[in-house]
Amino acid sequence: MNYVPGTASLIDDIDKKHLVLLRDGRTLIGYLRSIDQFANLVFHQTVERIHVGKKFGDIPRGIFIVRGENVVLLGEMDVDKPCDTILQQVSIEEILEEQRLQQQAKQETEKVKMQVLKDRGLSIPKADNLDEY
Amino acid sequence: MFRFQSLDDDCTLEEEDDGLIEEEDEIDQFNDDTFGAGAIDDDWQEEHKRLAELDERDGLGAGSGAGSGVGGGGTGGGDVSSSAGLPSSSARVPLPSSGPPTQDADERSGGSDLAESLARLILDADPAIAGVGAAERPAPSPGSAGPGLSGLLGLDQPRVLPQPPSMPHQHQLPPAAPAPGLPPSSMLSYQQQQHLLRRGAAPLGQMNSHSIWESSMGFGPLSVSPGLVAHMEDSPLMSIIKEVGLPKRPPPGRSDEGLDLSERVPPPRSSSPVIGSPPVRAVPIGTPPKHPMSLNHQIHHPTAVHVRAPVQHRYHAPFPERLSPNTLLNIANSPLCRGPFPPRVGPVLSQLQRAQLLNSQVAGFPRGGPGPPLLAGGGFRPFFGGPPPPHGHRMGPPPPHGPPNHTAPIRHNTTHLHPQHRRLLTQRMQSRGGDRVRTGLDRRSRDPYSNLMSQKEKEWVTKIQMMQLQSTDPYLDDYYYQNYYEKMEKRQERERDSSSRKEHATKLITPQVAKVEHTYRPVQFAGSLGKLTVSSVNNPRKMIDAVVTTRSDDEEKREKQVWNKRRQILYTVEKMYSLLLEVQDFEKRFVQTPEEEREALLEQHKVNTEQLCSSLQEKDWEDRVSEDQCVMIMAVRKGKRLVARLLPFLPAAQAAAVVMVIARNLPALAKKDKQDQVLVCLVEPVSAVVQSLSSSALTDLLQELQGSDGQLAAVLQNKFGVTLLYLILSEGERMQSSDQDCQLMDDNRWTELVFSVTRELLSVPSSSLSPPLFTPPNLLSLFSRYVDRQRLELLQDKLQ
Repeated sequence: MNYVPGTASLIDDIDKKHLVLLRDGRTLIGYLRSIDQFANLVFHQTVERIHVGKKFGDIPRGIFIVRGENVVLLGEMDVDKPCDTILQQVSIEEILEEQRLQQQAKQETEKVKMQVLKDRGLSIPKADNLDEY
Repeated sequence: MFRFQSLDDDCTLEEEDDGLIEEEDEIDQFNDDTFGAGAIDDDWQEEHKRLAELDERDGLGAGSGAGSGVGGGGTGGGDVSSSAGLPSSSARVPLPSSGPPTQDADERSGGSDLAESLARLILDADPAIAGVGAAERPAPSPGSAGPGLSGLLGLDQPRVLPQPPSMPHQHQLPPAAPAPGLPPSSMLSYQQQQHLLRRGAAPLGQMNSHSIWESSMGFGPLSVSPGLVAHMEDSPLMSIIKEVGLPKRPPPGRSDEGLDLSERVPPPRSSSPVIGSPPVRAVPIGTPPKHPMSLNHQIHHPTAVHVRAPVQHRYHAPFPERLSPNTLLNIANSPLCRGPFPPRVGPVLSQLQRAQLLNSQVAGFPRGGPGPPLLAGGGFRPFFGGPPPPHGHRMGPPPPHGPPNHTAPIRHNTTHLHPQHRRLLTQRMQSRGGDRVRTGLDRRSRDPYSNLMSQKEKEWVTKIQMMQLQSTDPYLDDYYYQNYYEKMEKRQERERDSSSRKEHATKLITPQVAKVEHTYRPVQFAGSLGKLTVSSVNNPRKMIDAVVTTRSDDEEKREKQVWNKRRQILYTVEKMYSLLLEVQDFEKRFVQTPEEEREALLEQHKVNTEQLCSSLQEKDWEDRVSEDQCVMIMAVRKGKRLVARLLPFLPAAQAAAVVMVIARNLPALAKKDKQDQVLVCLVEPVSAVVQSLSSSALTDLLQELQGSDGQLAAVLQNKFGVTLLYLILSEGERMQSSDQDCQLMDDNRWTELVFSVTRELLSVPSSSLSPPLFTPPNLLSLFSRYVDRQRLELLQDKLQ
């Protein structure tokens, strides 16, 4: 039953499995249990899914309350569809390791790039990851 | 009531020893309390006298007094300590005793001993107890509180006499701190310090335990002289302690005094968990509705903050409609529900186990170590439905391939979705219906954690969202949505007509708020003199108090009339303008409209023109142009322009009439036009009219123009007037020259008029002759007919 026809409302998404992407880049998957007028979300049986390349790992987190302003996007997940057709699930340790390697590699490339630019007398100011005003 | 007693510096501990011992023997505390000075009632005047006496005495025998006082204190302490372990007293002072041991446990030698001793200390401080048996109590030494207290402890030890006299020293120390002389005061609780202070005042020569306690109401600076005995009862002591802010302890009521013990019970606490904080009554706006919690509340928080007499609730339904699994477990296992016999249900999962269980549900990956095997299968059965999962397997969500339990897919209203989305959804539904057996709804019904958000809460959130959509003017606030919706509805209607499908798109009915003007009227009291001077955002204070000045009625009426008339004229002008515009636009519209509607348009046009014409006509006399009306209209600038535009559209007769009116009233109009200078806009249409006039009409017009005496002069002064005159003359000339048998010359009027014109022209000085808009060329030829050469030349000059 749609409470507010013609508009978007999260009421219909309650008790369904969702995937939410947060502003800090985390991906959470859980059952949406409760909402409020700010779109603060209460997730149940939450799992933080880390993706590195084609691999992913799930870290169980329990109950999450997400402040509405930190949500980038939120979507219902198909419970029945299998998630391992293209992606390969690995253990937490492995995925964290992979993530660390990925971050490291990125930092290295970044460093090299900065160095090269510096040699040429150019500088590109580093974009801050945090959204500051 | 209490006077600061300055102790004699000469008092030393050593000196008092003998005195103490001596005094001890002499004093019989019991007797004194019962029958002696201690038993006298409160009378401050008596007190004062006694104090005064004491003061005098003090100077004399400070030493002996101190000694005796200490001795008395010693006896008091000893008695109490001997009668240690008063069960009633200990019960009465739970709080303070809990304090000190925690503070000082580290620093004291014997922990438990200390507790006991401290408890006793407080007992000593209790005047009631002191009254019972003011035993001797050795005061602590100044150097160390530890050994001092242990000295206090020393029940078996004989009075440590050297110590008491040191108290005066402590007492003399600056009053800032309660017991600054004492070693790290942090070690001692406040009460202990007080106690010691009291001790200190003891050497002031008080004879009974009562007075010892009472005299040393020593929060530093204060102490009571030994004489102040009688008034010291329980309440003053307590009241002062209350002042200073000690933790409230039940006032020490003597059981034999028969005080009402119910007074001592601490006030009933609210349900707030924080001790001492006020109950949170106000519920902030954003809080969702609370669930009915009575029995449940107690169950959820089985460890109540305060253990008090259980309040009998009137129980609601034992199990409300919606319970979370946790709630259910709590209910099942709460101590309140357990009977005296061991429960039949298996042990409850611990939090950890439950969490792990849930994790395994979600994550679905194999977890080493403690996992689902921790399930208490028996305990779970009622809550999870279905068979309990087998050991060691992960308990995923109810498997999709279970018993065939196909339910028809629910068709929600999906008209608001994007068409692609809708298609996908229907596809999915169909496919799900085919090979799957559970729709989302079914799965959700089996999910024990579903419906955590009650219907009420959902409605509450929806209500908030709807409130945000409130608007007084939806077309202003949400223009695009309104348009979109209208288009959609129209489209649907069309489609429905073709396919006759009855599928209404549900429209979101946003709450419409009536546009109510909320004018703030400040508070007014009937019959009060003057207004309240209250200024707020809605009612700011006026900087200037505007006073309404009432003019006399006549003046006002006249003013009003003038204004009203002007408004009336303007109103008329406006109406005529709108008609005129329609008439003017007629042609353009006529061309644009399709064939079938042209007749209607024609009709409309006719009506308009008729209305227009009639607007200038007299009310009763249909054919005549209302002069007053014309003049009125012409008085206004807008009106003049209107007439200028209107003239071409009027029928010839009417137009002529209008021009006549203008000519007749030209001086007045000219005067009124001085500011606006708009008359000249009439030149063109008027000239058109003039040129279409017949000769007689022309003559009439010229006559009108000349009209009364002096009119011509005025006419000549006005640009428009001059122009009009020349126009007329030129037209006349044209008529004469072109048409031989024109009737212009039939009567002499024309000639006469021209003569008068010439006369006027000649007589009027050049300066007052306003230059016309243009000078028709044939004027000279006109004049040449009538005037001689000389005058002609003069006229020529004038015309230039």
